[in-house]
Amino acid sequence: MAYDPKTGKGLGRLYSGDMHCTKRREWKGLKDTLYDYFRWLKLLWLLGSTLAPVLPQLMKALKRYRWMASYLTTPAFVDRHTIGLRGYELRYTHMQFYAVLQNSARMIKEMLERDENLNPKSKKAAALRAKTVIFDEMMPIQIMNGFPTLKGILIQMVPVFMAGEVDQLANMYYIDAIEHFGLAPDVCPLPAAEAGCCVVDDYPRIGAAYIGSSMPCDGSVATNMYSQRYFKLPTYTIAPPQRFNEPEVQEYAVKNLWGAVEFIEKQFNVKFDWDAFFAGVKRYNTETKYMLEKWDVNCTPYPQICGAALALHREYEMQIASALDPRMAKLDAKTCKLMQKGYEHDKKKDLQAKYRAIVWSCPAHYYSNFTYWAENCWGIKTLVDMECMLSHHFYDEHDKKQVLVDMARGYERMTMRSHSNGGYINALDECWKMCEKFNANIVFMYNHVSCKNFAGLQGLFEDQARERGIHLIWVEHDLMDPRTVSRKAMRDRVNRYMTTVFRAEPLDPTLMDYDDELTW
Amino acid sequence: MKDLKHLYYFENLLTEANNELVRQAKAEGGIAVGYTCFHMPEVLLNLDRCFSVRLRAPRTGSMEMATYYMSNSTCEYARALLERGLEGGYRFLDAMAGVDVCECMNRSMENMELLDVADPDKKGFFWCNLDSPCHDNEDAVAHVVEQVTRKVLKPLHENYGVDISDAAIRKAVDEHNEICRLITQIGEYRKLDNPTITGYEFHILTLATYVCPKYLIVDKLRQTLEELKTREPDSKKRFRAKVVLVGSEIDDPELISLIEDSGALVVADRFCYGSIPGRQEIRLTDGEDALTQVVRDYLHATLCVRHVEPHKIQKRLDTAAQLCQDFHADGIIYEQIKFCTYWSYERALASHIMADEYHIPTLSIDRPYMSRTSGQLRTRVQAFVESLEIKKIRAAKAQKEEASHGV
Repeated sequence: MAYDPKTGKGLGRLYSGDMHCTKRREWKGLKDTLYDYFRWLKLLWLLGSTLAPVLPQLMKALKRYRWMASYLTTPAFVDRHTIGLRGYELRYTHMQFYAVLQNSARMIKEMLERDENLNPKSKKAAALRAKTVIFDEMMPIQIMNGFPTLKGILIQMVPVFMAGEVDQLANMYYIDAIEHFGLAPDVCPLPAAEAGCCVVDDYPRIGAAYIGSSMPCDGSVATNMYSQRYFKLPTYTIAPPQRFNEPEVQEYAVKNLWGAVEFIEKQFNVKFDWDAFFAGVKRYNTETKYMLEKWDVNCTPYPQICGAALALHREYEMQIASALDPRMAKLDAKTCKLMQKGYEHDKKKDLQAKYRAIVWSCPAHYYSNFTYWAENCWGIKTLVDMECMLSHHFYDEHDKKQVLVDMARGYERMTMRSHSNGGYINALDECWKMCEKFNANIVFMYNHVSCKNFAGLQGLFEDQARERGIHLIWVEHDLMDPRTVSRKAMRDRVNRYMTTVFRAEPLDPTLMDYDDELTW
Repeated sequence: MKDLKHLYYFENLLTEANNELVRQAKAEGGIAVGYTCFHMPEVLLNLDRCFSVRLRAPRTGSMEMATYYMSNSTCEYARALLERGLEGGYRFLDAMAGVDVCECMNRSMENMELLDVADPDKKGFFWCNLDSPCHDNEDAVAHVVEQVTRKVLKPLHENYGVDISDAAIRKAVDEHNEICRLITQIGEYRKLDNPTITGYEFHILTLATYVCPKYLIVDKLRQTLEELKTREPDSKKRFRAKVVLVGSEIDDPELISLIEDSGALVVADRFCYGSIPGRQEIRLTDGEDALTQVVRDYLHATLCVRHVEPHKIQKRLDTAAQLCQDFHADGIIYEQIKFCTYWSYERALASHIMADEYHIPTLSIDRPYMSRTSGQLRTRVQAFVESLEIKKIRAAKAQKEEASHGV
């Protein structure tokens, strides 16, 4: 679609209120459309080749699990994040998403081949299950680097967490199920959906021990009650301290984390392998180095890897891949190399962003491409996302004692928890610090209507933003439940702010008002 | 029944946070330490000249300011405290011993701190946010000992010259234990077939022990216990069923009153601000420092929902069932204050487990902070009472039929 100053790229016309997918693919000019198409084929090849060995289980899973069908929409998920993008940005986004999806596809394969529900009589599946530790989803599994003979899988990740990102309609059934069970509807829908998935028996049975967590919020802690009861496995709870900015709490944090190591050693009769663990630590450090490079570039007037491509990638890399997948760092190296080229290109041509924003509080799972919409519609570049500002300190690569302290700090600062816990400083003061660091004067302040943690600071955010002259654009959402606040309602908040406060004209007026309630 | 002699006096003490006895203790040189949660060991706030005041916001009406700061989707109790703080209702406090246990309470404390609700003239005032672990093992004990020492005891000593020695802790435990013994003994009268104390009266007494300097109420508690020994119950039972009340924070006696007016006598109080846990004696030995023992006792005793280790989850369920048996209750009411995430999860799950696995009739409700006017709540309790009565009638009928078949 060629750019027209009156209608912009006309991207809003790609959507239809009665269709799950877009009406057609976007024409991005010959070169970029060909690249985009090549990437589409590459993604299909990745999914096909990874899942082919478990095709029978995949077919059974489509019948057995409600969430499985959502993954058929994966190509559309990537398309949503690349609509409107050109040149380097298009390439970064594809590369970042590819890194995430290759890891996720492998995780799905590993779940399918282990699942007792799908392979009830398989000895191979039973043997795999006997070597598998399942983890609560809101937690990195870095400790598994020290158990190379075992497999760690985040149990709720595929059925709930990722499914809701790929398909906005995926989690509703589970949310309804748990509310019908008696849970109040005001709690965060993520742990609610996870508990709902237990209630309707929609988890695969894939492990021999369970590690729960006390991760970002009360809901995440409380949902452990349901998981434990459902899985009926030997259980250990990793519960790092809340006030983790205090150096004094680290001793307890290490003991608690080491307790998980001892638990796994006991359950599986294996020893923690320090050499394998340090190899994982090196991978983590390499990935972190690349992450910091991306942030550094985004602090300049010529930001490169922005929006969900930056945020989702880091979240998955740290929390899910957890330095267990060597391909992540390799793909990072390629992306960062290209990023340097892109930076030089933009600098030479002085291509600066019209508006610079950061995202704060937790974003809507069902609208992870929201930041791309803001870029396409208003020219607002999202430089960083609170969710990806999780653990980014380096771990010691040699000292056993120190690396455990470092890893405990990493667990304390995982997704969301790094800002929702540890006191208001991590949420409030940190936000203004990041505005300064990234030279942004707009904050997309996600107002997750069920998140009591950030809601508890709402007035202080408002007061302090006003004092600092920062544009705080409150964007309501309900994390996993688009029925409470639709994607359109989220966009309307920004549209209203941009037209009334900034008196801005949209770059693409067709994106101001369109219907995507049914879109995956 | 004839009114308890001191009930009216105790009721009056609960009408404001800075009540008559708090003022008296302050005038006598006492140091008032505010706190909100069981995870802050209460006994450690009663050392030397200190006395603990568990915060409430009685007679709460509008919470507009707090809603601006904390939104309308957060726990009403946390908001009510912030509102009261912003109104200047906690300026009498000399320190605030908060805990980072649940999101809303933590944010409420942080808002209070940032919005300067403390009296600026109190130079020794300090805020604390205790990190409370989700485990109850020895590592967790050591962690809490460090936290309490650094964040509470040390500032009390340095800012106010409070004696925080082992001897002082043991003395405070002795005084605490006396209150616990009295409350426990008074509570025993709820086990009678026709109890000589109502749930409402008991809650008033228990609440008073949380919000008043203990040395100023102990005499009246002793007299109340004596009074109960000879108190005559109503000749005709004024309740239709007995229930155990389990759940989140309740500091509103009107809620208990509402339940009892609907026909259900509350015979056991297993909720935050109730007596179980919270009013059980702490047994100290000489072989170990008192602080560690106190902390261990609290960690082991807690029935807080944020503890999700399997043994703790099981303990909560077993305790509820045991209370039902010990206090001869016909059912359990699981309640949660609105917007309490932890108790929402526990309530939903436990109410199913209790009914399905323990075979104890269970009512599951959520409620506002001040529930005195809730007609809906009243209707639900009445319906529950009726269902309990029907169950009793059916059971009696079945027993009769069984007996006649046997003959």
